Amino acid sequence: MLRHALGRLLGVLPTLLMLITVAFFLMRVAPGGPFDSEKALPPEIEANLNAKYHLDESLAQQYFRYLGQIAVLDFGPSFQYKDWTVNELIAQGFPVSLTVGLLAMTLAFGVGTLLGITAALRQNTGVDYSLMGLAMLGISIPNFVIAPLLILLLAVYAGWLPAGGWDGGFASMVLPVVTLSLPVTAYVARLTRGSMIEVLNSNFIRTARAKGLPEIVVIRRHALKPALLPVISFMGPATAGMISGSVVIERIFSIPGLGSYFVQGALNRDYTLVMGVVVFYGVLIIILNFIVDLIYAWLNPKIRYDEKR
Amino acid sequence: MNKRYLILFTIMFSHALLGATLHRGLGPEPDSLDIHQAQGLPAIQILREIREGLTSFDAAGNIIPGVAASWKIDEEGRLYRFKLRNNARWSNGDTVTAEDFVRAWQRALSPATLARTASLLAPVVNAQEAMVGTTEPADIGIRAPSSDTLEIRLDTATPWFLEVLAHPVSYPLHADIPDQPSQAVVNGAFMIDQLTMHALIRLKKNPEFHAAESVSLDTVDYLPIEDPSSELSRYRAGELEITETIPAGRHDWLETYLPDELQVNPYIGSFWLGLNLKREPFAGNPKLRRALSLAVDRRIIARLVVGAGELPAWSIVPPRMGRYQPQAFEGSDLEQQSREMEAKRLYREAGYPSGTPLNIELRYNTSSQHRKIALAVSSMWRQVLGVNTDLVNEEWKVFVNSRRQGTLTQVFRGGWIADYADPTSFLDLFRSNNELNTTFYANESFDRLMDQAMVLEGSERIERLQRAETQLMKDMPVIPLYFYVSRHMVKSTVTGFEPNVRDIHLSRYLEVENPNP
Repeated sequence: MLRHALGRLLGVLPTLLMLITVAFFLMRVAPGGPFDSEKALPPEIEANLNAKYHLDESLAQQYFRYLGQIAVLDFGPSFQYKDWTVNELIAQGFPVSLTVGLLAMTLAFGVGTLLGITAALRQNTGVDYSLMGLAMLGISIPNFVIAPLLILLLAVYAGWLPAGGWDGGFASMVLPVVTLSLPVTAYVARLTRGSMIEVLNSNFIRTARAKGLPEIVVIRRHALKPALLPVISFMGPATAGMISGSVVIERIFSIPGLGSYFVQGALNRDYTLVMGVVVFYGVLIIILNFIVDLIYAWLNPKIRYDEKR
Repeated sequence: MNKRYLILFTIMFSHALLGATLHRGLGPEPDSLDIHQAQGLPAIQILREIREGLTSFDAAGNIIPGVAASWKIDEEGRLYRFKLRNNARWSNGDTVTAEDFVRAWQRALSPATLARTASLLAPVVNAQEAMVGTTEPADIGIRAPSSDTLEIRLDTATPWFLEVLAHPVSYPLHADIPDQPSQAVVNGAFMIDQLTMHALIRLKKNPEFHAAESVSLDTVDYLPIEDPSSELSRYRAGELEITETIPAGRHDWLETYLPDELQVNPYIGSFWLGLNLKREPFAGNPKLRRALSLAVDRRIIARLVVGAGELPAWSIVPPRMGRYQPQAFEGSDLEQQSREMEAKRLYREAGYPSGTPLNIELRYNTSSQHRKIALAVSSMWRQVLGVNTDLVNEEWKVFVNSRRQGTLTQVFRGGWIADYADPTSFLDLFRSNNELNTTFYANESFDRLMDQAMVLEGSERIERLQRAETQLMKDMPVIPLYFYVSRHMVKSTVTGFEPNVRDIHLSRYLEVENPNP
């Protein structure tokens, strides 16, 4: 188990380096720079600006300077939000995205697995069909359709919930969390149903039933763990995606999370901001995948035994 | 009975104590709250609420005295002498002195600051030299003979300079400049109480402000909401009293269902299509340029394509710029049908007899609105003249570069929102030496008229500017399409909101009934 963990951990560094390199050069290949605007700056001022942000150095110099900065976790100043450093922006935005993402994730996995198991146990009945029909709807209707609909119904007409904004209170979280979790809930439900049905038809379940175990024990003790394996491996990237902030949800509900920095930063050629968010997001995905691997190994004896051999 | 009185009393009392809060939309997040780093309109708007320059704006957007109580301008229009009001104070109680202005301007024009809007101060003696580092900032033309007197020297008369003095770049700075600009001491009607990026900028009344007793609001909540549709939802849900804009395409709906709350007013902005005079087919071909201009039906563009109260444009300078009369191009008074006849005639004379159609490229920066306009214009050209137009869209940063270089562009999306409400803000763009002149229009008599206007005053100056625009419209380096409008939703509980062409609505003049507790 420990060897497995260490091996995975060592594989992380080259991945990260590759990510930084690709993102760094892609960003510089894009035409235009952070100071381009309708009014061109006087050349002397542009030269001063370039010197201040070290944009006057060669690309290789800049690249190694950036690697050096990253090593001490300094993402540098933002070009676009001049009063803040990228570290400060991430520190302000991430807790919000994390809160929304974790809540949505909990909701999605709780509700999703429950629905999936219910559908699997009532396979090919009306319950199954209607739940899976709903799930299909949840997957296929995009966020940017659901969100304005919910706002119109629950905020504008009914006035029960705020139409947007963020004050850290429960009311302002309900709509974004629910909207963000809907497609994931639906996907998890379908995933759970599929694998549950497969497990329920396997030999060891037949054995368990033949031993005369009550159905609830069969499911809880024998079927649940293997049935959740595909869901767990989906959970890693899904969690990373959700806690790093959704651009659509953040825009529609005006939530001060990390998501908008991706798009805004890229459009404004805010090199440091984009790089900072990419690196941060990359580390996040790698860590989460790592955790999922560990859970997976714990859940799935096959992996553990392979390692021991 | 007693209980009921108590409740009534509490309600009345709590309102009196809490005072009124106004909630306003801000658009995007401000880029900086440092007066010398701020560039975008949201940042400028917040800075105007929390700080004040020598001059300021009244509710109708007119220039009024700010920190200056009075001023004298010498006959040549190059020496300004300001007397500061004795009750102008910083939020920590210190007096605002003439030295605070000198300090701020030296910082604005020093190369180390890299102030983005410093070019507004270019008319000041030695300002341009200081910006590029050839003169010390100490040598610029601003002096404090005493702590309540300020002298500013300009290189040439600048009729709009009093408006520049109301722009954040010319505001005073307290001697203590903190690292985080939102924590700075300020001298405006409000000060920052709370700041959460992308969520809320809460301003509270500044008791030290010289006109504090006339300010009705205690709190102003500015909500940065980038998406106009979200802003409108929040307005309709009662979370905002004033929006920053309205979503494209919702104008008609709002006009039908919320007509009393919709505020659409003329604005100092102009939208046009630029023609690159450096390249074929427009170089030396004014007839072709005029033909393309006449073939466009501006009423359809303004009413049906952009459709939010915009005015069709027959000139470059928008209306309502003081006494200036915009100079419409020849043919603007005709019926559209006769204009199209004239367009066909000019097109033939320009060397395009039937059978040899013109192929051109129309370049615009990516936006669904710009695409709609480009599609409409190109189909008008095809219908009237048979011109084949290729639409090319580029992302903003790429677009501004290709427009500036002028090696790729033929027809391109252009436009301008004035920095100050004076016709020169628009006309200067077409001087041959202006780097913003992306049409590369160069006409000696236009330049000469503009130079003459610089040293003249009053009606003589206006006459020269009008002649310059007439010349411009004759040469047609651009095809004016429509004039911008400002668009807001304003709840009926808000009073003091006065429409104005500058679209400046300082919260110090606004009141809101039924304060939200």
